[in-house]
Amino acid sequence: MELIIEKKKIKEWLVVLGKDFKVVDTRKKVLPPKQYFFPVKEDLFSFDLKSKKLKTIDQSENILLLISSLNKLEAMTQLDEIMEKPQKDFFYWQKRDKSVLVGIVDESIKVPYGGDLVLEKINQKEYRTWVLNSKGRNLLKDKFFKKVLKPRTINYPSKPNIFKEKLLDSELLAEAVEWSWQSNHKIWNELAEKCLGCGICTYVCPLCHCFSMEDQVSLDNSKCFRCRQWDACTLPRFSQIAGGHNFHKTIKERYYNWYYHKFVRAYRQYGKAQCVACGACKDNCPAGIKIGEVLKEIVKDYKKR
Amino acid sequence: MSKPKIAIFEFTDCEGCEVEIVSLREKLLVLEKRVDIVNWRLGQENNQPGPYDVTIIEGTPITQDEVDRLKKLREESKVLIGLGACACLGGIPAIIDTKKRKEFYKKIYGEKYKPRGIDAMPLAAYVKVDFLIHGCPVNNQEVVRIISELLAGRTPQYRGYSVCFECKQAGNECRLLNKKPCLGPITQGGCNAVCISGGSPCYGCFGNREGAEVKNLLKILNKITDQKEIDRYFSMFLNRTKN
Ligand code: SF4
Ligand code: SF4
Ligand code: SF4
Ligand code: SF4
Ligand code: SF4
Repeated sequence: MELIIEKKKIKEWLVVLGKDFKVVDTRKKVLPPKQYFFPVKEDLFSFDLKSKKLKTIDQSENILLLISSLNKLEAMTQLDEIMEKPQKDFFYWQKRDKSVLVGIVDESIKVPYGGDLVLEKINQKEYRTWVLNSKGRNLLKDKFFKKVLKPRTINYPSKPNIFKEKLLDSELLAEAVEWSWQSNHKIWNELAEKCLGCGICTYVCPLCHCFSMEDQVSLDNSKCFRCRQWDACTLPRFSQIAGGHNFHKTIKERYYNWYYHKFVRAYRQYGKAQCVACGACKDNCPAGIKIGEVLKEIVKDYKKR
Repeated sequence: MSKPKIAIFEFTDCEGCEVEIVSLREKLLVLEKRVDIVNWRLGQENNQPGPYDVTIIEGTPITQDEVDRLKKLREESKVLIGLGACACLGGIPAIIDTKKRKEFYKKIYGEKYKPRGIDAMPLAAYVKVDFLIHGCPVNNQEVVRIISELLAGRTPQYRGYSVCFECKQAGNECRLLNKKPCLGPITQGGCNAVCISGGSPCYGCFGNREGAEVKNLLKILNKITDQKEIDRYFSMFLNRTKN
Protein backbone atom coordinates (compact mmCIF):
# COMPACT_ATOMS: atom_id res chain seq x y z
CA MET A 1 0.00 0.00 0.00
CA GLU A 2 1.33 3.41 -0.95
CA LEU A 3 0.42 6.78 0.53
CA ILE A 4 -0.22 9.26 -2.25
CA ILE A 5 -0.78 13.02 -2.37
CA GLU A 6 -1.99 14.86 -5.41
CA LYS A 7 0.36 17.56 -6.64
CA LYS A 8 -2.34 20.21 -6.54
CA LYS A 9 -3.08 19.43 -2.89
CA ILE A 10 0.47 19.98 -1.65
CA LYS A 11 0.01 23.71 -1.37
CA GLU A 12 -3.14 23.35 0.71
CA TRP A 13 -1.48 20.76 2.92
CA LEU A 14 1.39 23.15 3.57
CA VAL A 15 -1.04 25.89 4.54
CA VAL A 16 -2.48 23.58 7.19
CA LEU A 17 1.04 22.71 8.41
CA GLY A 18 1.72 26.41 8.53
CA LYS A 19 -0.37 26.57 11.70
CA ASP A 20 2.20 24.52 13.57
CA PHE A 21 5.34 25.41 11.67
CA LYS A 22 7.08 28.24 9.99
CA VAL A 23 7.27 26.78 6.48
CA VAL A 24 10.40 27.76 4.59
CA ASP A 25 10.87 26.91 0.96
CA THR A 26 14.61 26.40 0.48
CA ARG A 27 14.30 25.21 -3.07
CA LYS A 28 15.53 28.38 -4.76
CA LYS A 29 17.93 29.54 -2.06
CA VAL A 30 21.63 29.83 -2.82
CA LEU A 31 22.66 29.11 0.75
CA PRO A 32 21.99 25.53 1.82
CA PRO A 33 19.59 24.26 4.53
CA LYS A 34 22.37 24.34 7.15
CA GLN A 35 21.76 28.09 7.48
CA TYR A 36 18.59 27.51 9.52
CA PHE A 37 20.38 25.56 12.25
CA PHE A 38 23.82 27.03 11.95
CA PRO A 39 23.03 30.61 10.95
CA VAL A 40 25.48 32.68 8.96
CA LYS A 41 25.88 34.88 12.00
CA GLU A 42 24.39 34.36 15.45
CA ASP A 43 24.75 35.66 18.96
CA LEU A 44 25.23 32.60 21.15
CA PHE A 45 25.08 34.19 24.55
CA SER A 46 25.36 37.50 26.28
CA PHE A 47 26.99 38.60 29.49
CA ASP A 48 25.33 41.33 31.48
CA LEU A 49 27.80 43.59 33.26
CA LYS A 50 25.42 44.65 36.04
CA SER A 51 23.88 41.29 36.95
CA LYS A 52 27.07 39.40 36.03
CA LYS A 53 24.87 36.78 34.38
CA LEU A 54 25.30 34.79 31.22
CA LYS A 55 22.25 34.32 29.09
CA THR A 56 21.99 31.99 26.11
CA ILE A 57 19.99 33.37 23.27
CA ASP A 58 17.35 30.92 22.11
CA GLN A 59 16.40 31.63 18.51
CA SER A 60 14.78 28.30 17.85
CA GLU A 61 11.33 27.95 16.36
CA ASN A 62 9.22 25.19 14.88
CA ILE A 63 10.43 25.30 11.36
CA LEU A 64 9.59 23.11 8.38
CA LEU A 65 12.02 23.13 5.49
CA LEU A 66 11.06 22.16 1.98
CA ILE A 67 14.04 20.67 0.21
CA SER A 68 13.99 19.53 -3.39
CA SER A 69 17.33 17.86 -3.79
CA LEU A 70 18.12 14.35 -2.59
CA ASN A 71 21.73 15.36 -2.20
CA LYS A 72 20.82 18.20 0.14
CA LEU A 73 18.63 15.87 2.20
CA GLU A 74 21.49 13.44 2.44
CA ALA A 75 23.81 16.28 3.42
CA MET A 76 21.53 17.14 6.34
CA THR A 77 21.81 13.59 7.66
CA GLN A 78 25.56 13.88 7.45
CA LEU A 79 25.67 17.33 8.99
CA ASP A 80 23.60 16.05 11.92
CA GLU A 81 26.24 13.41 12.42
CA ILE A 82 29.03 15.99 12.29
CA MET A 83 27.22 18.21 14.76
CA GLU A 84 26.84 15.30 17.16
CA LYS A 85 30.36 13.97 17.29
CA PRO A 86 32.58 14.22 19.24
CA GLN A 87 30.37 16.63 21.11
CA LYS A 88 26.83 17.77 20.52
CA ASP A 89 26.76 21.31 19.14
CA PHE A 90 24.23 22.78 21.56
CA PHE A 91 23.29 25.74 19.43
CA TYR A 92 22.78 23.68 16.31
CA TRP A 93 20.59 21.12 18.03
CA GLN A 94 18.60 23.75 19.87
CA LYS A 95 17.21 24.69 16.48
CA ARG A 96 17.51 21.39 14.68
CA ASP A 97 15.46 19.51 17.30
CA LYS A 98 12.46 21.69 16.61
CA SER A 99 12.63 21.35 12.86
CA VAL A 100 11.20 18.97 10.28
CA LEU A 101 12.66 18.35 6.86
CA VAL A 102 10.32 17.63 4.00
CA GLY A 103 11.67 16.57 0.65
CA ILE A 104 9.67 17.31 -2.47
CA VAL A 105 11.63 15.47 -5.10
CA ASP A 106 10.93 15.36 -8.82
CA GLU A 107 13.04 12.34 -9.59
CA SER A 108 12.57 8.67 -8.81
CA ILE A 109 14.01 7.54 -5.52
CA LYS A 110 15.65 4.26 -4.61
CA VAL A 111 16.27 5.15 -0.98
CA PRO A 112 16.10 8.63 0.51
CA TYR A 113 19.13 9.23 2.72
CA GLY A 114 17.65 12.09 4.62
CA GLY A 115 14.63 14.11 5.62
CA ASP A 116 11.73 13.22 7.88
CA LEU A 117 9.17 12.91 5.13
CA VAL A 118 9.89 12.75 1.42
CA LEU A 119 7.41 13.19 -1.40
CA GLU A 120 8.54 11.51 -4.59
CA LYS A 121 7.04 12.35 -7.95
CA ILE A 122 5.50 9.23 -9.51
CA ASN A 123 3.47 10.74 -12.34
CA GLN A 124 2.42 14.16 -13.61
CA LYS A 125 -0.24 14.49 -10.96
CA GLU A 126 0.88 12.52 -7.94
CA TYR A 127 3.60 12.13 -5.35
CA ARG A 128 4.27 9.06 -3.22
CA THR A 129 5.35 9.49 0.41
CA TRP A 130 8.38 8.09 2.14
CA VAL A 131 7.95 8.32 5.89
CA LEU A 132 11.34 8.16 7.55
CA ASN A 133 10.42 8.64 11.18
CA SER A 134 7.71 9.73 13.59
CA LYS A 135 8.44 13.40 12.95
CA GLY A 136 7.55 12.78 9.35
CA ARG A 137 4.55 10.63 10.21
CA ASN A 138 3.04 13.41 12.29
CA LEU A 139 2.82 15.58 9.20
CA LEU A 140 0.47 13.22 7.39
CA LYS A 141 -3.00 14.67 7.53
CA ASP A 142 -5.64 12.20 6.35
CA LYS A 143 -7.48 14.83 4.41
CA PHE A 144 -4.68 15.17 1.88
CA PHE A 145 -3.26 11.66 1.57
CA LYS A 146 -4.89 8.54 0.24
CA LYS A 147 -3.89 4.90 0.30
CA VAL A 148 -3.44 3.32 -3.10
CA LEU A 149 -2.49 -0.30 -3.72
CA LYS A 150 -0.61 0.13 -6.99
CA PRO A 151 -0.32 3.73 -8.09
CA ARG A 152 0.57 4.59 -11.66
CA THR A 153 4.31 5.07 -11.56
CA ILE A 154 6.53 6.66 -14.17
CA ASN A 155 10.30 6.49 -13.87
CA TYR A 156 11.96 9.90 -13.59
CA PRO A 157 15.65 9.10 -13.78
CA SER A 158 18.09 11.40 -12.03
CA LYS A 159 20.79 13.10 -14.04
CA PRO A 160 23.88 10.90 -14.26
CA ASN A 161 26.47 12.05 -11.76
CA ILE A 162 29.87 10.38 -12.18
CA PHE A 163 31.24 12.43 -9.32
CA LYS A 164 28.66 10.85 -7.01
CA GLU A 165 29.89 7.40 -7.94
CA LYS A 166 33.47 8.42 -7.15
CA LEU A 167 32.41 9.26 -3.63
CA LEU A 168 31.44 5.66 -3.00
CA ASP A 169 35.11 4.79 -2.70
CA SER A 170 36.03 7.37 -0.14
CA GLU A 171 39.10 5.42 0.88
CA LEU A 172 40.54 5.78 -2.60
CA LEU A 173 39.65 9.46 -2.64
CA ALA A 174 41.35 10.03 0.69
CA GLU A 175 44.51 8.31 -0.47
CA ALA A 176 44.55 10.05 -3.83
CA VAL A 177 43.99 13.54 -2.46
CA GLU A 178 46.70 13.17 0.15
CA TRP A 179 49.08 11.66 -2.38
CA SER A 180 48.47 14.54 -4.80
CA TRP A 181 49.66 17.04 -2.20
CA GLN A 182 52.61 15.05 -0.98
CA SER A 183 53.79 14.38 -4.49
CA ASN A 184 53.35 18.03 -5.40
CA HIS A 185 50.83 17.38 -8.15
CA LYS A 186 50.70 20.27 -10.62
CA ILE A 187 46.97 20.70 -10.19
CA TRP A 188 47.46 22.54 -6.89
CA ASN A 189 49.64 25.14 -8.61
CA GLU A 190 47.10 25.50 -11.39
CA LEU A 191 44.26 25.98 -8.93
CA ALA A 192 46.28 28.52 -6.96
CA GLU A 193 46.47 30.53 -10.19
CA LYS A 194 42.69 30.47 -10.48
CA CYS A 195 41.04 30.54 -7.09
CA LEU A 196 39.89 33.93 -5.81
CA GLY A 197 39.77 32.80 -2.21
CA CYS A 198 36.31 34.27 -1.96
CA GLY A 199 34.90 31.47 0.20
CA ILE A 200 31.73 31.06 -1.84
CA CYS A 201 32.29 27.31 -2.30
CA THR A 202 32.26 26.87 1.46
CA TYR A 203 29.23 29.06 2.04
CA VAL A 204 27.12 27.21 -0.52
CA CYS A 205 28.35 23.76 0.51
CA PRO A 206 25.65 21.97 2.52
CA LEU A 207 28.34 20.28 4.61
CA CYS A 208 30.97 22.90 5.38
CA HIS A 209 30.52 23.91 8.96
CA CYS A 210 33.45 26.06 10.00
CA PHE A 211 32.95 29.19 12.01
CA SER A 212 34.88 31.89 13.78
CA MET A 213 34.03 33.53 17.08
CA GLU A 214 33.73 37.22 17.68
CA ASP A 215 33.04 38.96 20.97
CA GLN A 216 31.23 42.24 20.86
CA VAL A 217 30.58 44.83 23.53
CA SER A 218 27.40 46.84 23.23
CA LEU A 219 27.86 50.54 22.58
CA ASP A 220 26.53 51.45 26.04
CA ASN A 221 28.95 48.98 27.68
CA SER A 222 26.15 47.11 29.47
CA LYS A 223 26.48 43.79 27.67
CA CYS A 224 28.94 41.63 25.87
CA PHE A 225 27.94 39.17 23.17
CA ARG A 226 29.65 36.10 21.84
CA CYS A 227 28.85 35.74 18.21
CA ARG A 228 29.79 33.01 15.79
CA GLN A 229 29.77 33.36 12.07
CA TRP A 230 30.64 31.20 9.11
CA ASP A 231 34.26 31.01 8.18
CA ALA A 232 35.93 29.35 5.21
CA CYS A 233 39.27 27.61 4.99
CA THR A 234 40.03 29.46 1.74
CA LEU A 235 40.10 32.76 3.67
CA PRO A 236 43.42 34.08 5.01
CA ARG A 237 42.40 34.42 8.66
CA PHE A 238 41.14 30.88 8.92
CA SER A 239 44.40 29.36 10.01
CA GLN A 240 45.84 32.37 11.74
CA ILE A 241 46.54 32.08 15.43
CA ALA A 242 47.31 34.49 18.25
CA GLY A 243 50.47 36.43 17.55
CA GLY A 244 49.71 36.47 13.85
CA HIS A 245 51.28 33.18 12.75
CA ASN A 246 49.44 31.67 9.82
CA PHE A 247 49.60 27.97 9.06
CA HIS A 248 48.31 28.48 5.53
CA LYS A 249 50.08 31.47 4.09
CA THR A 250 49.20 30.97 0.45
CA ILE A 251 46.00 30.40 -1.46
CA LYS A 252 47.49 27.10 -2.60
CA GLU A 253 47.68 25.81 0.95
CA ARG A 254 44.31 27.26 1.81
CA TYR A 255 42.59 25.82 -1.20
CA TYR A 256 44.15 22.41 -0.63
CA ASN A 257 42.84 22.45 2.94
CA TRP A 258 39.32 22.46 1.56
CA TYR A 259 39.98 19.13 -0.09
CA TYR A 260 42.14 17.81 2.69
CA HIS A 261 39.37 18.29 5.20
CA LYS A 262 36.56 17.03 3.02
CA PHE A 263 38.24 13.97 1.63
CA VAL A 264 41.16 13.05 3.88
CA ARG A 265 40.45 14.17 7.41
CA ALA A 266 36.70 13.57 7.19
CA TYR A 267 37.37 10.04 5.95
CA ARG A 268 39.58 9.33 8.91
CA GLN A 269 37.18 10.86 11.39
CA TYR A 270 33.82 9.75 10.06
CA GLY A 271 34.64 7.06 7.53
CA LYS A 272 33.34 9.05 4.59
CA ALA A 273 33.98 12.18 2.59
CA GLN A 274 32.23 15.38 3.57
CA CYS A 275 30.74 15.87 0.16
CA VAL A 276 27.51 14.65 -1.42
CA ALA A 277 28.37 15.71 -4.98
CA CYS A 278 25.56 18.26 -5.08
CA GLY A 279 27.60 20.51 -7.35
CA ALA A 280 26.69 23.73 -5.53
CA CYS A 281 30.35 24.76 -5.16
CA LYS A 282 30.98 24.26 -8.86
CA ASP A 283 27.81 26.07 -9.92
CA ASN A 284 28.61 29.10 -7.76
CA CYS A 285 32.38 29.41 -8.14
CA PRO A 286 33.13 32.67 -9.97
CA ALA A 287 36.45 31.19 -11.11
CA GLY A 288 34.73 28.20 -12.69
CA ILE A 289 36.56 25.59 -10.62
CA LYS A 290 34.88 22.20 -10.86
CA ILE A 291 35.48 19.99 -7.88
CA GLY A 292 34.43 16.81 -9.69
CA GLU A 293 36.98 17.43 -12.45
CA VAL A 294 39.72 18.15 -9.94
CA LEU A 295 39.11 14.86 -8.16
CA LYS A 296 38.88 13.00 -11.44
CA GLU A 297 42.31 14.17 -12.51
CA ILE A 298 43.83 13.41 -9.13
CA VAL A 299 42.39 9.90 -8.96
CA LYS A 300 43.44 9.17 -12.53
CA ASP A 301 47.04 10.14 -11.82
CA TYR A 302 47.03 8.36 -8.48
CA LYS A 303 46.08 5.13 -10.16
CA LYS A 304 48.84 5.61 -12.76
CA ARG A 305 51.59 6.42 -10.28
CA MET B 1 37.96 58.11 34.76
CA SER B 2 37.29 61.04 32.49
CA LYS B 3 35.59 60.37 29.21
CA PRO B 4 37.79 59.98 26.14
CA LYS B 5 37.97 63.07 23.96
CA ILE B 6 36.96 62.54 20.38
CA ALA B 7 37.39 64.92 17.48
CA ILE B 8 36.02 64.57 13.97
CA PHE B 9 37.64 66.52 11.12
CA GLU B 10 37.33 66.53 7.40
CA PHE B 11 39.48 67.38 4.41
CA THR B 12 38.42 67.23 0.78
CA ASP B 13 35.40 65.00 0.33
CA CYS B 14 31.61 65.06 0.15
CA GLU B 15 30.94 64.69 3.91
CA GLY B 16 28.73 61.70 3.16
CA CYS B 17 30.52 59.56 5.74
CA GLU B 18 29.90 62.11 8.47
CA VAL B 19 26.25 62.08 7.45
CA GLU B 20 26.36 58.35 8.13
CA ILE B 21 27.55 59.15 11.65
CA VAL B 22 24.75 61.70 12.09
CA SER B 23 22.30 59.06 10.92
CA LEU B 24 23.18 56.93 13.94
CA ARG B 25 20.74 59.20 15.84
CA GLU B 26 19.82 57.50 19.18
CA LYS B 27 23.07 55.56 19.10
CA LEU B 28 24.93 58.84 18.88
CA LEU B 29 23.25 59.87 22.15
CA VAL B 30 24.32 56.57 23.76
CA LEU B 31 27.83 57.25 22.53
CA GLU B 32 27.82 60.79 23.96
CA LYS B 33 27.38 59.28 27.44
CA ARG B 34 30.70 57.50 27.10
CA VAL B 35 32.80 59.98 25.16
CA ASP B 36 33.18 63.72 24.81
CA ILE B 37 32.96 64.83 21.22
CA VAL B 38 35.04 67.94 21.74
CA ASN B 39 35.46 69.00 18.14
CA TRP B 40 33.09 68.34 15.29
CA ARG B 41 32.44 71.17 12.89
CA LEU B 42 29.55 69.43 11.17
CA GLY B 43 27.77 68.32 14.32
CA GLN B 44 28.14 71.10 16.90
CA GLU B 45 29.09 74.73 17.61
CA ASN B 46 31.51 74.63 20.54
CA ASN B 47 34.74 73.16 19.37
CA GLN B 48 37.92 72.77 21.39
CA PRO B 49 41.55 72.56 20.35
CA GLY B 50 43.59 69.35 20.88
CA PRO B 51 45.02 67.14 22.23
CA TYR B 52 42.50 64.42 21.53
CA ASP B 53 42.26 60.77 22.49
CA VAL B 54 40.72 59.73 19.20
CA THR B 55 40.66 61.76 16.03
CA ILE B 56 38.50 60.63 13.17
CA ILE B 57 39.36 62.08 9.79
CA GLU B 58 37.15 62.07 6.78
CA GLY B 59 38.45 63.08 3.36
CA THR B 60 41.99 63.60 2.27
CA PRO B 61 44.29 66.64 1.98
CA ILE B 62 44.77 68.17 -1.45
CA THR B 63 46.82 71.25 -0.55
CA GLN B 64 50.04 71.62 1.41
CA ASP B 65 48.13 73.55 4.11
CA GLU B 66 45.87 70.61 4.60
CA VAL B 67 48.79 68.21 4.76
CA ASP B 68 50.35 70.35 7.49
CA ARG B 69 47.08 70.40 9.40
CA LEU B 70 46.85 66.63 9.12
CA LYS B 71 50.37 66.25 10.51
CA LYS B 72 49.51 68.51 13.41
CA LEU B 73 46.38 66.49 14.15
CA ARG B 74 48.48 63.35 14.18
CA GLU B 75 50.76 64.88 16.78
CA GLU B 76 47.79 65.90 18.88
CA SER B 77 46.01 62.54 18.75
CA LYS B 78 46.59 59.27 20.55
CA VAL B 79 44.57 57.32 18.01
CA LEU B 80 43.96 58.48 14.46
CA ILE B 81 41.27 56.87 12.37
CA GLY B 82 40.50 57.31 8.69
CA LEU B 83 36.80 57.52 7.86
CA GLY B 84 35.64 56.51 4.42
CA ALA B 85 37.23 55.75 1.06
CA CYS B 86 38.67 59.26 0.53
CA ALA B 87 40.65 59.08 3.77
CA CYS B 88 41.49 55.40 3.49
CA LEU B 89 42.21 55.02 -0.22
CA GLY B 90 42.29 58.49 -1.76
CA GLY B 91 38.75 57.78 -2.88
CA ILE B 92 36.83 59.93 -5.31
CA PRO B 93 39.35 62.81 -5.35
CA ALA B 94 42.00 60.32 -6.47
CA ILE B 95 40.09 59.27 -9.58
CA ILE B 96 41.50 62.22 -11.49
CA ASP B 97 43.88 61.49 -14.29
CA THR B 98 46.85 63.43 -12.97
CA LYS B 99 48.32 63.94 -16.45
CA LYS B 100 45.18 65.58 -17.73
CA ARG B 101 45.04 67.82 -14.75
CA LYS B 102 47.37 70.47 -16.24
CA GLU B 103 45.13 70.78 -19.29
CA PHE B 104 42.11 71.28 -17.06
CA TYR B 105 43.91 73.98 -15.11
CA LYS B 106 44.61 75.89 -18.28
CA LYS B 107 41.09 75.49 -19.59
CA ILE B 108 39.34 76.47 -16.39
CA TYR B 109 41.64 78.98 -14.69
CA GLY B 110 43.63 80.34 -17.63
CA GLU B 111 47.34 80.38 -18.49
CA LYS B 112 48.51 82.44 -15.53
CA TYR B 113 47.06 80.26 -12.80
CA LYS B 114 49.54 78.88 -10.28
CA PRO B 115 48.24 75.49 -9.15
CA ARG B 116 48.09 74.83 -5.40
CA GLY B 117 46.49 71.42 -5.52
CA ILE B 118 48.39 68.21 -4.97
CA ASP B 119 47.32 64.71 -5.90
CA ALA B 120 44.83 63.12 -3.57
CA MET B 121 46.50 60.33 -1.60
CA PRO B 122 45.30 58.21 1.30
CA LEU B 123 45.99 59.73 4.73
CA ALA B 124 48.51 56.98 5.30
CA ALA B 125 50.74 58.55 2.63
CA TYR B 126 51.43 61.38 5.09
CA VAL B 127 50.92 60.11 8.62
CA LYS B 128 50.55 56.90 10.58
CA VAL B 129 46.90 55.90 10.64
CA ASP B 130 45.81 53.50 13.37
CA PHE B 131 42.68 52.15 11.77
CA LEU B 132 40.69 52.57 8.58
CA ILE B 133 36.91 52.58 8.52
CA HIS B 134 36.31 51.77 4.88
CA GLY B 135 33.46 52.59 2.54
CA CYS B 136 32.01 55.18 0.21
CA PRO B 137 30.16 55.97 2.31
CA VAL B 138 31.03 54.02 5.45
CA ASN B 139 28.49 51.61 6.86
CA ASN B 140 27.36 53.18 10.12
CA GLN B 141 27.08 49.80 11.86
CA GLU B 142 30.75 49.30 11.11
CA VAL B 143 31.44 52.69 12.71
CA VAL B 144 29.58 51.52 15.82
CA ARG B 145 31.46 48.23 15.83
CA ILE B 146 34.84 49.88 15.59
CA ILE B 147 34.14 52.56 18.19
CA SER B 148 32.72 49.92 20.57
CA GLU B 149 35.89 47.92 20.14
CA LEU B 150 38.08 50.89 20.91
CA LEU B 151 36.01 51.82 23.96
CA ALA B 152 36.27 48.24 25.21
CA GLY B 153 40.04 48.66 25.06
CA ARG B 154 40.50 46.26 22.18
CA THR B 155 42.23 46.58 18.84
CA PRO B 156 39.59 46.61 16.11
CA GLN B 157 39.97 44.00 13.38
CA TYR B 158 39.42 44.32 9.67
CA ARG B 159 36.88 42.03 8.07
CA GLY B 160 38.66 38.91 6.92
CA TYR B 161 36.06 37.97 4.33
CA SER B 162 35.07 39.30 0.91
CA VAL B 163 31.99 41.20 -0.21
CA CYS B 164 30.93 37.87 -1.77
CA PHE B 165 30.07 36.55 1.70
CA GLU B 166 27.45 39.22 2.18
CA CYS B 167 26.41 39.02 -1.45
CA LYS B 168 25.52 35.33 -1.04
CA GLN B 169 23.60 36.17 2.12
CA ALA B 170 21.63 38.73 0.17
CA GLY B 171 20.79 35.98 -2.32
CA ASN B 172 22.14 37.86 -5.33
CA GLU B 173 23.02 36.17 -8.57
CA CYS B 174 26.74 36.34 -9.13
CA ARG B 175 27.71 39.00 -11.64
CA LEU B 176 30.94 37.28 -12.61
CA LEU B 177 29.04 34.10 -13.43
CA ASN B 178 26.76 36.22 -15.59
CA LYS B 179 29.83 37.64 -17.36
CA LYS B 180 29.55 41.05 -15.74
CA PRO B 181 32.55 42.60 -13.96
CA CYS B 182 32.67 42.78 -10.17
CA LEU B 183 35.43 43.47 -7.66
CA GLY B 184 33.60 41.74 -4.80
CA PRO B 185 35.99 38.80 -4.39
CA ILE B 186 39.03 41.00 -3.72
CA THR B 187 37.14 43.53 -1.61
CA GLN B 188 36.80 43.54 2.14
CA GLY B 189 33.28 42.86 3.40
CA GLY B 190 31.27 45.03 5.73
CA CYS B 191 28.94 46.87 3.36
CA ASN B 192 26.28 44.13 3.10
CA ALA B 193 26.94 44.05 -0.65
CA VAL B 194 24.63 47.03 -1.14
CA CYS B 195 25.79 47.79 -4.66
CA ILE B 196 25.25 44.31 -6.04
CA SER B 197 21.86 44.06 -4.34
CA GLY B 198 20.99 47.35 -5.99
CA GLY B 199 22.02 46.11 -9.43
CA SER B 200 25.49 47.70 -9.61
CA PRO B 201 28.91 46.12 -9.55
CA CYS B 202 31.27 46.28 -6.61
CA TYR B 203 33.98 48.87 -7.33
CA GLY B 204 35.92 47.98 -4.22
CA CYS B 205 35.26 51.00 -2.04
CA PHE B 206 35.95 48.94 1.12
CA GLY B 207 39.51 48.43 -0.07
CA ASN B 208 41.35 45.23 -0.86
CA ARG B 209 40.72 42.38 1.50
CA GLU B 210 43.75 40.91 3.24
CA GLY B 211 45.25 38.33 0.88
CA ALA B 212 43.17 39.52 -2.08
CA GLU B 213 43.79 37.40 -5.18
CA VAL B 214 43.88 40.35 -7.55
CA LYS B 215 45.82 38.57 -10.29
CA ASN B 216 43.38 35.73 -10.41
CA LEU B 217 40.43 38.10 -10.60
CA LEU B 218 42.10 39.96 -13.47
CA LYS B 219 42.28 36.72 -15.42
CA ILE B 220 38.52 36.39 -15.13
CA LEU B 221 37.84 40.05 -15.89
CA ASN B 222 40.01 39.81 -19.00
CA LYS B 223 37.71 37.14 -20.34
CA ILE B 224 34.61 39.22 -19.64
CA THR B 225 35.63 42.68 -20.80
CA ASP B 226 38.42 44.84 -22.26
CA GLN B 227 41.40 46.51 -20.64
CA LYS B 228 39.87 49.96 -20.76
CA GLU B 229 36.85 48.82 -18.79
CA ILE B 230 39.04 46.96 -16.30
CA ASP B 231 41.13 50.10 -15.80
CA ARG B 232 37.96 52.05 -15.16
CA TYR B 233 36.93 49.57 -12.46
CA PHE B 234 40.30 49.75 -10.78
CA SER B 235 40.47 53.54 -10.96
CA MET B 236 37.22 54.15 -9.14
CA PHE B 237 38.62 53.59 -5.65
CA LEU B 238 41.84 51.69 -6.14
CA ASN B 239 43.93 54.25 -8.07
CA ARG B 240 46.32 54.56 -5.15
CA THR B 241 46.30 50.89 -4.21
CA LYS B 242 49.24 48.87 -5.47
CA ASN B 243 47.78 45.86 -7.21
S1 SF4 C 1 34.28 29.69 -4.89
FE1 SF4 C 1 35.87 29.25 -6.37
S2 SF4 C 1 37.13 31.08 -6.41
FE2 SF4 C 1 35.91 31.18 -4.55
S3 SF4 C 1 37.21 30.25 -2.98
FE3 SF4 C 1 35.91 28.64 -3.81
S4 SF4 C 1 37.13 27.70 -5.42
FE4 SF4 C 1 38.07 29.67 -4.96
S1 SF4 D 1 29.74 19.14 -4.40
FE1 SF4 D 1 30.69 20.92 -3.47
S2 SF4 D 1 29.04 21.98 -2.43
FE2 SF4 D 1 28.30 19.93 -2.86
S3 SF4 D 1 28.79 18.76 -1.02
FE3 SF4 D 1 30.52 18.49 -2.41
S4 SF4 D 1 31.94 20.08 -1.81
FE4 SF4 D 1 29.98 20.64 -0.92
S1 SF4 E 1 36.32 22.22 3.91
FE1 SF4 E 1 37.14 23.96 4.97
S2 SF4 E 1 35.41 25.28 5.42
FE2 SF4 E 1 34.61 23.28 4.82
S3 SF4 E 1 34.30 22.26 6.78
FE3 SF4 E 1 36.31 21.72 6.04
S4 SF4 E 1 37.76 23.14 6.93
FE4 SF4 E 1 35.69 23.94 7.15
S1 SF4 F 1 28.36 39.42 -7.64
FE1 SF4 F 1 30.38 40.10 -7.04
S2 SF4 F 1 30.30 40.23 -4.83
FE2 SF4 F 1 28.56 39.01 -5.50
S3 SF4 F 1 29.26 36.90 -5.35
FE3 SF4 F 1 29.61 37.57 -7.45
S4 SF4 F 1 31.71 38.33 -7.45
FE4 SF4 F 1 31.08 38.20 -5.31
S1 SF4 G 1 29.65 46.58 -2.91
FE1 SF4 G 1 31.77 47.25 -3.23
S2 SF4 G 1 31.60 49.33 -4.02
FE2 SF4 G 1 29.61 48.82 -3.09
S3 SF4 G 1 29.73 49.54 -0.98
FE3 SF4 G 1 30.40 47.41 -0.98
S4 SF4 G 1 32.62 47.51 -1.17
FE4 SF4 G 1 31.80 49.50 -1.81
